[in-house]
Amino acid sequence: MTISEQALKVDLLRAKQESNPQLILDLIPYSSFIGAQAKMDTDQVLYWLDRRPSNIGNPSLPAIHGGVIGGFLELSAAIEILYTLDVNLVPKVVDFSLDYLRPGRYKTTYANCTVLRQGKKLVNVTATAWQDDPQTPIANARCHFLIS
Amino acid sequence: MDLRLAIFKPMLKLAMERSGHGKVLGFEITKIGRGEVEMLFPYKEEVVGNPVTGVVHGGVIVSLLDTCCGCAAITMLKGPMVTPTMDLRLDYMHPAAPHQAIYVSAKVYRDTSNVIFCRGSAWQDDPENPIAHCVATFMKVETPSVSFSNVVRRRFNRLLRGDKAYEREADK
Repeated sequence: MTISEQALKVDLLRAKQESNPQLILDLIPYSSFIGAQAKMDTDQVLYWLDRRPSNIGNPSLPAIHGGVIGGFLELSAAIEILYTLDVNLVPKVVDFSLDYLRPGRYKTTYANCTVLRQGKKLVNVTATAWQDDPQTPIANARCHFLIS
Repeated sequence: MDLRLAIFKPMLKLAMERSGHGKVLGFEITKIGRGEVEMLFPYKEEVVGNPVTGVVHGGVIVSLLDTCCGCAAITMLKGPMVTPTMDLRLDYMHPAAPHQAIYVSAKVYRDTSNVIFCRGSAWQDDPENPIAHCVATFMKVETPSVSFSNVVRRRFNRLLRGDKAYEREADK
């Protein structure tokens, strides 16, 4: 099931007007597949991933699948671009680099994103994931997106 | 026939395809060799990342390549160890075509005493024209706690603790 570019534009505008980044996430089937959610937290967007059995990678620990953490951060970075910048197309990811800093325990995972540079064509975003404390991140991602 | 690999094969397939995220993604491990693993992912509408074009989300490709490289790293182990991912770097060459299966292969190109270096690629029609390429490094951590008896004991303890909802879901 796909939507038109026009419909995407309308929904993006509505999300920005209502300060509700969750509306953008709702457009992307992958976000409900992993259970990613977003809300405004003071001045920036807070993304989170509730614990759910289908995100487990190692059942004996149990730990969250590394690919889910990667997918969650890549998704958050793309939403950050759609929500904070004046971009009306789904950004195309060019590269994605992820450092796993600590094991992702089976609990709620949070993320914050920062747009480090916005060019005409390219945007560089960094995304950090943590669980208990933002000072002890479990993973850090850097990615480039094409926006034209 | 490598005896260790003969034991690894069904264990890896079971662990990756039948539980957790691997199960919901629905991928299949098509080949397991020493330091070489291949996988197949059939298209799924639930994991679309671009609602305009219907292309799967990049996160799916991250999961596929992470699992594939991780499996390839595990096949190199000689004792009770785990191989957490240190880092993963992906380059997306072109978007995946919607409604088409994605093939993934990974190969270990260097195995040192502490770190395993691996590369992988994902393609649809032509392996020479990949949709994504990745390099991943894995740490070798010796841990007696991954022995079979310990895993069984931990599962038993979890049952006693009464975390039944998780247990039921994870074993489904």
